[in-house]
Parts: sequence; C-alpha cells; structure tokens
Amino acid sequence: MNAHSSRSRLRSVATTLAVALALTLAAAAGCDSRKEPDLPSVQEVLRESHIYGQTKLRIGVATNEPLMGELRNGQHAGFDVEIGRYIAASLGYEGDQRLEFVSVATEDRIPALQGGTVDLVVSSFSMTEERKKLVSFAGPYFVTTQEVLVSSRLKDKIRTIEDLRDPAYRVCTSGGSTTEAELEKRQVKTFVVKDVGDCVDGIRKGRYDAVSSDESILAGFLASFPKEFEFVDMPFGTSELLGIGVPIGDPALRDLVAFFLQKSYEQGRDGQASPWQTAYNRTLGPWLKAEKRQPQPLEVPKLVDFDDKAPRR
Amino acid sequence: MSTAPTTTGGADADGPVPPPRASVPHETTTVPGVDSPLDAAPDAAGWPAGVPVAAPAEPVVADVGSGRVRWDPAERRARASQSFWTALVGVPAIFSVLRLGVEAGGELQTTLLLVANVGPVNLLAGFLTTAARLLSTGMVAVFALGAVLAVSADRLPPGTRRRPLFARWADITPAWVVLASFLLALITWPLLYLPLLLPAFVAAFQLRPARLHERVLPRLLMIVALLAGYGWLLLPTLRDAAEQGDERLVLVLLVVPPLLALFIAGPLPGMVIRPLASVTEVAMLATLVWAAVPVISTPVLPLTVTTVGTENGPAEDVRGHVITTDDVNMVILQERGGVRYVPVDLVRAQVLCPTEEELPRHQLRIHDFHVEDSLLEGMGRRVRPVHRIDAACRTPA
Repeated sequence: MNAHSSRSRLRSVATTLAVALALTLAAAAGCDSRKEPDLPSVQEVLRESHIYGQTKLRIGVATNEPLMGELRNGQHAGFDVEIGRYIAASLGYEGDQRLEFVSVATEDRIPALQGGTVDLVVSSFSMTEERKKLVSFAGPYFVTTQEVLVSSRLKDKIRTIEDLRDPAYRVCTSGGSTTEAELEKRQVKTFVVKDVGDCVDGIRKGRYDAVSSDESILAGFLASFPKEFEFVDMPFGTSELLGIGVPIGDPALRDLVAFFLQKSYEQGRDGQASPWQTAYNRTLGPWLKAEKRQPQPLEVPKLVDFDDKAPRR
Repeated sequence: MSTAPTTTGGADADGPVPPPRASVPHETTTVPGVDSPLDAAPDAAGWPAGVPVAAPAEPVVADVGSGRVRWDPAERRARASQSFWTALVGVPAIFSVLRLGVEAGGELQTTLLLVANVGPVNLLAGFLTTAARLLSTGMVAVFALGAVLAVSADRLPPGTRRRPLFARWADITPAWVVLASFLLALITWPLLYLPLLLPAFVAAFQLRPARLHERVLPRLLMIVALLAGYGWLLLPTLRDAAEQGDERLVLVLLVVPPLLALFIAGPLPGMVIRPLASVTEVAMLATLVWAAVPVISTPVLPLTVTTVGTENGPAEDVRGHVITTDDVNMVILQERGGVRYVPVDLVRAQVLCPTEEELPRHQLRIHDFHVEDSLLEGMGRRVRPVHRIDAACRTPA
C-alpha cells in the first residue's frame, strides 16, 4: 500500500513536470514563431545597396565581342548581356524601361565602376588580385582560358608560344586585359589596341597575324568569321575567372549578385534549367571546343529569400 | 461556455466560491450536483469521491423580469451550446469586419470603401485562412489543459469544490469537437511545432502508456519502437539542426515533446491545480490577445504590384492591394496608405507579390518539407513546386 502510494506520488510529480515542461515549450514555440529571421533577407540587403530606389539599373557591357557582348541590330546581345539581364531581373530591374546597357571598352571597365557611370560591369571581366584592390567581384560566373586565334593562312606556321616570340609575327591584344600581362610575362611583344575587335579587324586587313585573348571572346570572332580564323592550342596554363564587377564601396550589391549567381548555380546542379545554362546554350555553347558548366561562385553570403520554402526536389 | 458564477459544492470563505444564494431551498443540498447554501458546508465534504462535480449539473438562479427562474441542467447545456456556436460564428465575423478598419489604415472612408467591395464570404474565408492556426492553437490548449485539470480536480483540497474554468469547458465539449480541433491543428500548424501536439493530444484524452498493452515488457517495446520510428523520420533534420549550431530550440522542440507524452497523462498533485488553473487562464488570455494582433493586421486582400503608364511613356509601379476593378478604374489600396484610382487603360502589368512576413526563420527541412510550413502548405508546394518572384516585387514601396 505504501509502495503504491509512493509510486502514485512519483507519478504525479512526473506528470507535473511534464505539464510544466510542455507549457514552457509551448511558450518558447510561441516566441519562436514571432521572432525575426536571424539571417538577413535579400530585401534588407537590397535596401543597403546603392541601387535601392534607383529607377534604372546601368550595366556596363562590351559591344564588340561577338557571343559575349555585342550590338546586333541596335540590341545588346551575348552571354554577358544575358547574365546581366538575369542579375538585373533578380534585383528588381526587368525590361528596357528599367534596365540600361552601357557600352564600356575593356580599359574603361574599372573607371566606369569607380566613376559611378555604371552600377555593374558584366564584360568578360577577369577576377585578379590587382583588380580586387580597385573594384569588387561577384563570381566567377565563367571560367575560360587564354587562347590564340590566328589567320587561317598562318595556322601551320604559328604553333607554339615560341613562334609568337618571333618578331616576324605581329601579335595583337586588348589593353588593360589579363592577356596583355600574361604575354608580357612570357616576353611576347604585342601590339596593344583598345578592343579585341580591333585586333580581329587588323588581322583581316593584314596589319596583325595573331590575336590572343580569352577563349570565350575569341570564340565569338571565330563564329563571325569561321573561314578566316583558327584556334591554336597553346599551353598558357592560366585560367581566367570571369566575374561581375561591382563598385568597391558597395559590399551589399556584391553580396546580392553573388547570391543570385549561386541560386542559378544550385538550379543547374539540381538538373533544372538554370538562367546560366539558358544563356550559355543560346550564345557560347555551340562554339566552344568543350562543354562548360557554371562554376561555383565564391564568397556567397547566406541570405533569406521568399522562395526558400519551395521544394528542392 | 457560460462563465456564470457556479457553486458546485460546499461553500467556504476562500473567495473563489460566490456568495450563497439565500433563495435556494435547503433541501437541494441533498441532491448531488445541486446548489448548496453556506450553512450546508458539512454536507459538502461528504461528496462521493470521483463523482464529477461538473458545472452544468447545477441549476442557476437568474433574474428574469420580476421573478426568479431556475434552469435545469439540460436547458443550461442547450444555452451553453447555443452561445458556443454563436461565438464560433460571431467572433470571426466581428473580427473580419474590425480588421478591415486596420487594413484601411484607420481611415473611415477607406474602411467604407473596403466594406462596400469585399464580399462577406471572401472576408470570412480570408479571415479563416489567416486565423485557422490561432484558432486551433487556442482550442487545443484549452482542451488539453482542461482535461488535465478535470482529471486532477478531485484532488483539490476539501472545500474548494469549484472546478477550474478550462475543466468545465472540457467537460461540456463533445469529443468530436476536441478531435476536430486537433485535426485542424495537425494540418495548419508548422511542422516544427507539430510534436507539441502529441503531448497535448495525450493530455486531452488522458491516454496513459498502459493503454498500449497491459503487460510492461510489450508496452516498453512498443514505446521504444514508436520513438525509434519518430527518430528515424527526423534524424536528417536533427543532424542539420545540430550542424547549424544556433538551432538548439529546434532540437528541443523536435525531441522533447514525444518524451513528455509518456508522462503527461494523469492527475496532478492537489496543491498545483489551483495555481496552474489561474496562471494558465491569464496566460491564455494574454496569449490570445498577443497572437490576435498579427492576425488582425494581416491584410485581407493579396499584395500586388501594378505597373502604370502610357505606352512608351514613363512607367510607375504601384504597390498595394487591388480593392476592385470596373470599366473605368482599378482601385488600389497602396501599401503605404491611401487609395489610388488608376484608369484601366494605363495598367500595363500586374504581379502578385509575397510579403516579408512570409520569410522563413529557420533553414531546416523534414524530408524536403520546410519546418515552418504546415502539412497543408507543404502539400501545396508539392502541387506547384516552382515559385518565381517577379522583378517588380523587389521595387521599394
């Protein structure tokens, strides 16, 4: 009898504890349901960036790099342009009324960002340590290699980097590019012009013999003049990480761009049609030697967005 | 559901029992469940143990006109049921109309415009969509607490015969209403809080583990098997939560409630019942008020962004709720307040937008169902898995 009563007392103490704990948990759940998210949301970060409230977003692009950034019948087109359009739409700028593409030459990309004439630069912009001191980068959104394009008539004569050093051949490249620095490092004498397009024009007019630049840019010219040019496989061994340039004083905008690149990357990785894949298939895809995939962007912040609850599978 | 003063047993000077009613004849004290006046205190102690001293069993004296009328228990039950249904229909209706005032930004003319254009059915449906969670939470809490208090009420110190309010509510509520409120909670609560429903259910129906099997060993095995199944279901989520580091509350909310369910059924010691009853009543009222504020301020109409402008001319985005559209104008209640009449010809595009209140607080999933989604929402997301946020939704208000 005594044992029974002490058991029943134990039981009622356990019940009391259970009820008290359940009520505490319910209260904690109630508080949890009303608290703000710990992570910043896309909207909050957007409010911190300099573009918040702007009626138009200005993106700097190239106009003379076929397949990457070009003017076709007065319309901006190319892989960079499509990536720019995706980022702009994600940031809330969609349609010609709200999005303005600004032509930016290779050498003007950094000054344009520094001077505030553009909000973003999507123009085959390689992410390098030197440039990172002047502008911020979100990306990479594309990994390319340095290649050489020669006039078809010279395809058997120019085969190696050694051949390029031969003063008989005039090698051209664009100013302020990573290629210029790389060729200089390898003691190749170059003719430096404003844009890669000028080199291609020069070769067609007989002023130069070879042009060196990113594979993605050269593929565009090869697509424009498939009979006149040929790629020469040279072991430069450097990979160019193309990123989206952002003013260095706007880390919020950099974070947002990186976040949306990551979103596209995750979509592609899960086998869905990502904006990157669509842009690639419509522009560069058919012209590159090997199939490429979107590289994983670096330094992506964790942000909360409206579609976070959507199923992943 | 009546809260009329009730005297269900012997009176004492403790306070919770209302003053005696001299008009009640003395002989009623001999009938259990009937009012007893003050001088019948010795009889009160003689209540047979275990007999529920339910509130409805007593006649209540009320002033009607010049005379006094005694209601019998059946009539009282009928009246309680009537007031229950009146409250069930009336409260949402009144709330729905009142929240229109909040939605209109406190402006009388805007409120009238909303009243004129939002149909009663839409209003009620809109209210239920946003309030179902709160409603089911309130009912589940009352029934679970009521059942715990009811089963413990016999242990109240002698003399305090008055049963706690929630216990009386639980007594007069049919089991199917209790079950329905649990079902509503099951499909509307976020998955993260669903484990709490388990101890609540066990408490509301006082299901002791002994119900599983009469012998100890099979009972233990069954409990272990059930808990193992639960653990297997949640293991990936728990691992994620542990990795994220700052999700301790989530871990506790997912792990502890099923264990509590094992111990929660049964009577409480006499001394905690009274304080528990009063504290939970006040806490429940406070919680309802606290939780009702967001429900009242949740918009009735969906949020849209309308692009307004002439062809090839400058365009403007208007963020707000479309009240109505006729042949001439689209009437938009702007997010920041004020009503805009936009000529229909100037409307170039319109998109539906989510609000920042819908942003998730946790980055956890249970088998691809987000922990903050209810079962209903989770199933909905499976039916329409692609969610696109329109660019216009990012534009500032």
